Amino acid sequence: MTRLAEIAVPRELLTRACAGDAPARQALYVALAPATLTLIRRMVGQRALSEDLFQDTMMTFYERLPQFRHEAPLGAWLRQIAISRCLMYLRSPWKRARMCLEPVDCGVAAEVAALITPGYAGEHIDLERALASLAPTARAIVWMYEVEGYSHQEIAHAFGRSVSFSKTQLSRAHARLRACLEPQEHPPSCTLI
Amino acid sequence: MHPDLDPQPRGLTRLLRELPAESAPPYGYSEFERRARERARGARSLAGGRRLAVAAVIGVGGLALLVRLSGPVPLANHAHNVGTSAAAPPALGPDDEALPPRAGAGERWLASLPSEPAVVHVGTRAAVVGLEDRIAQLDDLLTAARGARAAPARLAALQQERSRLLGTLVQVRYAETLANETP
Repeated sequence: MTRLAEIAVPRELLTRACAGDAPARQALYVALAPATLTLIRRMVGQRALSEDLFQDTMMTFYERLPQFRHEAPLGAWLRQIAISRCLMYLRSPWKRARMCLEPVDCGVAAEVAALITPGYAGEHIDLERALASLAPTARAIVWMYEVEGYSHQEIAHAFGRSVSFSKTQLSRAHARLRACLEPQEHPPSCTLI
Repeated sequence: MHPDLDPQPRGLTRLLRELPAESAPPYGYSEFERRARERARGARSLAGGRRLAVAAVIGVGGLALLVRLSGPVPLANHAHNVGTSAAAPPALGPDDEALPPRAGAGERWLASLPSEPAVVHVGTRAAVVGLEDRIAQLDDLLTAARGARAAPARLAALQQERSRLLGTLVQVRYAETLANETP
């Protein structure tokens, strides 16, 4: 899987896109959109919601593109925008209220169904199922730490919480994932942690 | 990027990184642009609605403030308004003696009132009767003075005094009328 931060964009293409050149902007979209959607989908879980946040992210990206100062790779810059959008959603009172109203089992079942990519089998499905069993915040932290390479300090800053919050969430999530992935006689039920 | 703070099996990280990614964007660039335009239009109309709501709130607030600052309507103005709608008299001021036509209007209005109001206020009734008596006396004096061909200055003085009393009577009767109408 190619991570968003690793995607290299030719400087000349970026310059043209920053200047508002439509074909260049389209080329950027084709290059960056799949990885952006993957990241958002892993962070929030649901497909429809991911597409909504993806649209928001890309709109913000194009709006701010003329202000891009080439201090970091373009993918990393876009990743920051996407994660910021996802965290805004996860922290929103609307999201919290919806989670309280959702029956836990149904919510997990729906998220598992949404997370599992059709056409893949074996350990990927197990892992996606295990990821879906995590609470949204824990899943986001696991993804930011393990895949995107954020440090605990950076995660704590992004969530507006302490470093120990990030460490605790990650530790519990690891335990949960290990429990889900290890073969057991009585597999743990998919309840949110 | 991060130091390995958590003693975590590297196998999990590897597995997570190997998870399949999206192979294509959810929709093409033209569809993305169309949705972006749609959202921008929605945001503009929302902003317009907000501006309208803010303007309405400011308008209502301003009106409330205006009403609050203007305080209760003065009796004279109110009397004038009510009087206009009920063919009432013009408000008479202290210089009404010099305005015989207005005194005439007051007299006509007094004539249109019932001789006895529905609700009698003892306090005002005595004043009204007293004023009416004095006006009647002045009428007699005026008639006598005209019959005796008195000096114009004497006639004017009597007429002025009558107008003053009539103005006072109109004000008292009108106040009485208002008091009767107020629940």
